[in-house]
Amino acid sequence: MSKRIFSYTVLIIASIVSIFPFLWMIVSSTNKSVDVTKGRLLPGTHFIENLQNLLNTVDLIPALINSTKISIITTVLAMLIASLAGYGFEIFKSRTKDFLFNFLLLSMMIPFAALMVPLFRMFGTISQSVPIIGIDTKTAVILPTVTTAFLIFFFRQSTKMFPKEILEAGRIDGLTELGVFFRIYVPTMKTTYAAAAIITFMASWNSYLWPLVILQSPENQTIPLLISNLGSSYSPDFGMIMTAIVIATLPAALIFFIMQKHFVAGMMGSVK
Amino acid sequence: MKKVLALFLVSILLLTACSSGSKDKQASGESKDTKEITVWAWDPNFNIKAMNLAKEAYKSENPDLKIKVVENAQADIVQKLNTSLSSGTTKGLPNIVLIEDYRAQSFLKAYPDMFQELTGSFNPEDFAQYKMAPTSLDGKNYGLPFDTGVTGLYVRTDYLEKAGYKVADLQNIDWNKYIEIGKKVKAATGKVMLTQDPKDLGLIRMMIQSSGAWYLKKDGVTPDLAGNAALKEAFKTYKEILDADLVKPVSDWSQFVAGFNSGDVATVPTGNWITPSIKSEASQSGKWAVVPMPKQSGIASSVNASNLGGSSWYVLNVPGKEKAVDFLAKTFGSNVDFYQTLNKEIGAIGTYKPAAEGEAYKASDDFFGGQKIITDFANWTEQIPQVNYGLHTYAIEDILAVGMQDYLKGKDLDKVLEDAQKQAEEQIK
Repeated sequence: MSKRIFSYTVLIIASIVSIFPFLWMIVSSTNKSVDVTKGRLLPGTHFIENLQNLLNTVDLIPALINSTKISIITTVLAMLIASLAGYGFEIFKSRTKDFLFNFLLLSMMIPFAALMVPLFRMFGTISQSVPIIGIDTKTAVILPTVTTAFLIFFFRQSTKMFPKEILEAGRIDGLTELGVFFRIYVPTMKTTYAAAAIITFMASWNSYLWPLVILQSPENQTIPLLISNLGSSYSPDFGMIMTAIVIATLPAALIFFIMQKHFVAGMMGSVK
Repeated sequence: MKKVLALFLVSILLLTACSSGSKDKQASGESKDTKEITVWAWDPNFNIKAMNLAKEAYKSENPDLKIKVVENAQADIVQKLNTSLSSGTTKGLPNIVLIEDYRAQSFLKAYPDMFQELTGSFNPEDFAQYKMAPTSLDGKNYGLPFDTGVTGLYVRTDYLEKAGYKVADLQNIDWNKYIEIGKKVKAATGKVMLTQDPKDLGLIRMMIQSSGAWYLKKDGVTPDLAGNAALKEAFKTYKEILDADLVKPVSDWSQFVAGFNSGDVATVPTGNWITPSIKSEASQSGKWAVVPMPKQSGIASSVNASNLGGSSWYVLNVPGKEKAVDFLAKTFGSNVDFYQTLNKEIGAIGTYKPAAEGEAYKASDDFFGGQKIITDFANWTEQIPQVNYGLHTYAIEDILAVGMQDYLKGKDLDKVLEDAQKQAEEQIK
C-alpha cells in the first residue's frame, strides 16, 4: 500500500510538472501582456483581443498553410521512402546490407548544425540551375528532411517481428514484389506507420533551424519562424505570442490525440 | 503497381517542366530586381516601423523604387547571415540589414567583401562619435548609424520622496551614492532598487563604457580584463549592490519588464529603448523621471552617460546596392524632418546630431512629470565615450558571467579577472 502511495505521489508531481507549462500557455493566451509578465494564473477575457492583434500584425494563415503543406508532404514522402528502405534492409538478403545499415546509423551521430553550411552551399549551387528546388523554396525545406536514418531504423526494427511467411504466400499467389509490399506489408504495419507519421509530422511541424536559414521571403514563412519573430520586439506582447503558440500547438496535439492508440501500439512494435 | 510507377514518372516530368518554366521567370526577375530592394530588421514596433517611415519619406525622392521590409528576429538574422555568408552564397540575401553594434565588427572582419562601403555617402561628423567605431573598419564607413542605446536611470519619484529624496538629488551621482540612496529607499518603502538577470551583464557593460573602457583593448581584439580598472570597479559595485540586498533577481526579459510594471523596483538603469515598456503601465503616469546614468567612483575618466545596445544599417554587396545606399543616405543619413517623424511616431532617438534641433526632440512628456526626456537623451548621447566593441563581446561576457558568480561566492577579484583573461585569450585566438 505504501509503495502505491509513493508511486502515485511521484506520478502526480511528474504530471503537474509536465502539464503546467501547457496550462500556463493556455491561460496566458487569454490575458493581457502586462498580466502575463506579472505571472497571472487565472484565465482572463482577452483571448479574442489577442487573436485580433495577432491576425492584424502577422500573416498567420499563410504561415499555417505553409507549415501544413511542408509537414504533410514530408510525412507522406518519409513514410514511403523509410518504410521501403526498412523493409528492404530486413527482408532481402545481401552481404553488404549490414555494412550499409551501420553506415546509415553512423549518420545519426552527426548533428545537423555541422551539416547546415555544406547543405546550404549545395542548395545555393542548385539554385543557379534549378531554382524550383533551390534556396527559398518549400522543396528545399522538405528534401533534406524527407527521411532520416532513425525512421529507417525504426521501420527495420518493427519489420523484424513481421511474419515473413505471409510474404511467401503472397509471392506464391502471384503478387509482384511491389504488390507484396503495398498489399500485404503496408496494411499489416498500420500501427508502425501511425507512430512514424506522428514522429515525422511533429518534427517537421516544429522544425526551426533549417527552414530558418533556407527560407528568405516572408511568403514562405513557417509557424515556428513566425513565433520567433513575434518575440523579437524590444517590448513583446506576451498575450499575443502565447495565442500564436496555442494555435501552433493545436494541429500537432490534435493529430497526436487522434492517433494516440496506434502510436502507443506502434511504439510497442505489435503486429496484428 | 505499375500505376504507382507511372504516377512517379509523371510527377518527375511535371517537376522538371515546372522548374524550367520558373527558371525563365527568375531570369526576367533578375533584370528588373534593381527596382526592388529588401531590408531585414527585427522588432515590428521599432526598427520595422522606422524602416517603413523611411520608405514613406523616400517616396518623394524616388517613387519607382520598391522597398520590401522583412521582419526577422535578431538571433535569426545573425544565424541566416552567418550561414549564407560563410557558404559564400549571396542568393536570397537582402540589400540592407540591421546589425547590433556589439556584433558589427565580427561581421565586418569575417566577411569584408560582402559589405558595401558607405564612405562619402553621409557625413560622419553629423553623427554621435561613439557610433563610428563599431560601424567602420580600417577607416572606412560600412554602417549608417541608426538608434542610440543611450542609457538613463529611470526612477520612481514617489518612492524617492518617501525616502526623503528629490529628483535633483539624483542628478549626476556615482554608484556609491546610488547604493546609499537605495538603502534608504528600501528602508522607507520596502522596495528594491533594480532587477538583475545573473546571465546578463548589461549593467557591467554600461558601467565600463561610461569610463571609456571595454572588454577589449582599443585594437578590438586583445582581451582587457585583468588590470582593467573600470571593469574591476564595476565588479565591486555589482557585488556591493547585491550585498546591500537592493536587487530582485529575474531570469528573463518578461520578468525584467514585470519588475517595473508591477512597481517592485524604484529604478531601472537601462537604454532609452525601454521607454515604451515603462509607459505601457499607464497607471504609473507622472510617477517616473529619468536622470543621467550614475558614473563610476574612483575612475577619473568616468562620465554620467553610457550606452546599451543600439544598432546600425548595413548594405550588402549584392545587386541593387547603389539604390540601397542612395535610399539610406537620403533618409537616415541626412533628413532632419524624417527624424522628427521617427521620434513622434515611435519614440526612436537617432544618433543624427542635427535632428536634435527639431521640434519633436523638444517636446515634454507628461508620463515623466513633464520632463523633456528626448532632449535629455539627445544631450547624453553626445557625451557617450567612444569604445571599440571589437569582436567577441558576447563570448567574453559568457566567461565573465561565470567569473562574476565565483567572485560573488568569495573568490578574490584580481584572481577572478586574471583567470577570465587567460580563458579569454585562449578562446579568442
